[in-house]
Amino acid sequence: MSSRVRPAPGTIQALQTALTAEHAAVYGYGVAGAYLTGSAQATAATSDWLAHQVARDHLEAVLRSLGAQPAAAAVAYQLPVPVRNPSQAVALAVLLEERIATAYLGLVALSNASIRDYGARQVQASALRAAAWRGDTVAFPGMTSAALARPRKQS
Amino acid sequence: MLPLAAVSGCDGPDVLAAPPSPAPDVTVLRGAIAAEQLMITRYTTVLHQAGAAGGSAGSLAGALQPLLAEHRAHLAQLRSRLIVPAGSKASPATPHERAPAPVPPGVSASVAFLRTAEQDAATTMLERLHGASSSLAQLFASIGASEATHVPVLDAAAAQVAP
Repeated sequence: MSSRVRPAPGTIQALQTALTAEHAAVYGYGVAGAYLTGSAQATAATSDWLAHQVARDHLEAVLRSLGAQPAAAAVAYQLPVPVRNPSQAVALAVLLEERIATAYLGLVALSNASIRDYGARQVQASALRAAAWRGDTVAFPGMTSAALARPRKQS
Repeated sequence: MLPLAAVSGCDGPDVLAAPPSPAPDVTVLRGAIAAEQLMITRYTTVLHQAGAAGGSAGSLAGALQPLLAEHRAHLAQLRSRLIVPAGSKASPATPHERAPAPVPPGVSASVAFLRTAEQDAATTMLERLHGASSSLAQLFASIGASEATHVPVLDAAAAQVAP
């Protein structure tokens, strides 16, 4: 989905937001995976960790193709929830995926068709991972309650 | 006699002209609403089949009811976004919406049918993104993602009622 034309306003910022979320997910799954050993969950955590690394690398490549410097990963992240056991590790994975889905909806809002499509496919992938960890589905993956509560007139 | 626009001194809309066509968002939104209505009908049909069959099929409700509730939430949210210009013509339904495939008889076949329908719906939502406004595209993407998550649930349900 590389492009040599100047990106529309907001494109770089949305891509950087998604990349930042992917950096956090790679870090977070590294922590969660340490508590999910010896089970199918460990395999799933490894698979999801790798998926986020692939997405991170893709976003970095897209940003470079647009002439932007990809945001760097932080050395460490403050986890949004404490993780000291498998149950908390699963809760972290769910939270990471929910945040990833919201970040990718930012790409869906862009006018570029290929970036929009990529964003939507990543929302689906994230929703599938979240549902697998949660053991349940939700009606609106990635959508904030504010976005659902205040429908706007279409332009 | 002067035309009304000349009398009023402005170039306002011609009130006697043909009604405006719906905006592209309205057309694609109507398609999404029709698809959700169809999905709800299909779930309702399968739940009736399962209830009538009893046994392990009767326990399908536990798996299917939450998915049906999510489709109803999708429909409500989509309807809340539908703002039709006054006097506009209704957009024609697509051939698919006119002649939807019926739910097949038999609980096992009907659950497999729902699985395919959910997968198709998730794919169709990706196609609806193009040309939609930003906020509507986000809603379509989110609903499509929800529908994609229904597929594994239906896989598990199918295993539960496998002959």
